[in-house]
Amino acid sequence: MTNRDLQVGRVLRASTRGFAIGCAVMQPEIPAFGSFVRAEGQASGEAIYGLIYDVSIEDDPFVRQFIGANPPEEVVRDQRENRQVPIEVSVLAVGCGDGETIRHCLPVQPPVTLDWLYQCRSEEIRAFTSRFDYFRLVLDSRDVPTDELLAASLRAAAAARPENERERFLVSAGRELVRLLAGDPTRLEGLLHRLRT
Amino acid sequence: METGNGSPFYILVRTGVTLELSQLSEDVRTMAEVIANRHQTTVDLVELARQWLAEHAGDGAPLRRAARNAQKTAIPTEEPLDAVHPLPRMPERFAVAAADGSQIQPDRHGAVLYYLINVGSLVYHHGSGKAPEAKSESILGYTEEDLYEQGMRVAGNLLDVRRDLAELKRLADVCENEGSSSTVALIDGSMVLWVLSDSPPGARSRKATAYLDQLDRIRCSGGIVGGFISRPSYNEIAHLLYLASLNGDTNRAEKHPNPLERLPDRAIFARLPPGARSALFVSSKKISQTDYAPRGHEVHFFYLNVVEEGQDPIIARVEVPAWVARDTGKLDLVHGAVVAQARITGDYPYALARADELAYISSRERAAFEEMVMTALLRAGVRSTPSPKAHYKRLTRMR
Repeated sequence: MTNRDLQVGRVLRASTRGFAIGCAVMQPEIPAFGSFVRAEGQASGEAIYGLIYDVSIEDDPFVRQFIGANPPEEVVRDQRENRQVPIEVSVLAVGCGDGETIRHCLPVQPPVTLDWLYQCRSEEIRAFTSRFDYFRLVLDSRDVPTDELLAASLRAAAAARPENERERFLVSAGRELVRLLAGDPTRLEGLLHRLRT
Repeated sequence: METGNGSPFYILVRTGVTLELSQLSEDVRTMAEVIANRHQTTVDLVELARQWLAEHAGDGAPLRRAARNAQKTAIPTEEPLDAVHPLPRMPERFAVAAADGSQIQPDRHGAVLYYLINVGSLVYHHGSGKAPEAKSESILGYTEEDLYEQGMRVAGNLLDVRRDLAELKRLADVCENEGSSSTVALIDGSMVLWVLSDSPPGARSRKATAYLDQLDRIRCSGGIVGGFISRPSYNEIAHLLYLASLNGDTNRAEKHPNPLERLPDRAIFARLPPGARSALFVSSKKISQTDYAPRGHEVHFFYLNVVEEGQDPIIARVEVPAWVARDTGKLDLVHGAVVAQARITGDYPYALARADELAYISSRERAAFEEMVMTALLRAGVRSTPSPKAHYKRLTRMR
């Protein structure tokens, strides 16, 4: 991935545990489940990292009108390109940084309403996933598809690395999961299976 | 005031109720019964109107002069009164442009006196497979010249006229840009500037001229224009049929009550086949005769069933200027374009629905705009706040 500050959307509401983003148009791969994203923190250079765990399109009575009607192509394109049908993206906070170091912890303060949320660049993803401390934050989260999210984020992190490093990265991540989920072999097996597929 | 469990909120919520539904239930039941009884009366009147329509279908020519002298009475054209025109064959490609507007009225309780008109428009190219062109344009009025007309504040009907003109100007711009003879510009509502009634005579004529100038632009561009009226409540045809039943005797028509007085014309034409239109008629509106007609824009109209085969009729009224009414090709294009547009949603032109959406100023957008105004005023060194009344209204309505 070679994304350069691709904007996902703006912050709708936020807490230190996570935030919701609104965006108008869905683009290829943005926003995508399991993606690493970054919002700016309150202080200069501060960043809040998160993982997208849900992408939902809000109900729209006008669109409902056309669901069973086989609308013309012009209408489909109007709805997709011109109308601001809000897409809501939910993000789990998994870390923060000050421009030099990245910590796998919840941010001290959430981002502010209408702040931009960016897709992380490949080098940011590599830096963030050079350690696996954020696994605990994901695995302990409630109301989030934790195992699917962790597997998707690791696949994204592997894709951000050169091809010859990907397998080694995933094996390291798998070892960390074995350590964390040693007491729950069924869950561990499921997660490792997701990583392989 | 606290409840037994010590919570003050229960009482607050209860006293906050402003509409006591239980007090209204009896009235609502009675209203439903009255409406049900009225429905049977309407059915009988529709039968009478259709009987007169059939009996006097060929009397258009002798009725024309009498209709022009009568009040609120549709004027027949050359077509038989009961003519039915099926949905015409349409070209593979044609464009429909629609514009609609909304406004923020000047508010003397606001931080500053201004008005805002927002015009939304959509240009939909049928058969292109492309996304329509959507646009919103705003006009901010804040100078003395903007805000007052001959000592009267520009609000209500006076502002409506400016909005209508802005909508038509937008359509004229689109038609000139398109430069095509197969572009249909749709106005939301009547082509007749009824809102001019609040204007003094001199100003009325000036505003009508400005409006007709835009119709001229559309005509010169090669475009076509029409006004779409959803669920019309006009009764000009009902008046014409009553006059016909009296053999065109306007004196008797004025002296005796018309049994069809409250019957909307759309009920008479509810038997139009899907996609078909009624005969053309000329509008009885005075301004159409005095101002529109000399410039070739005399307003004509027809009724139209927009739905597809097998569905309950949805009757709309479509108004067109004389130069469209007298050109079969243009008239067919308006007829077919309105049906094509309405069938996208099922019953209402898609482009008009979208233009309305693009024009609409939501309460959130309005609040954001007011915030922007306050900030700009502060930067300019002006400290201005809403009146106490506006302030408390905002506080009590935030729930």
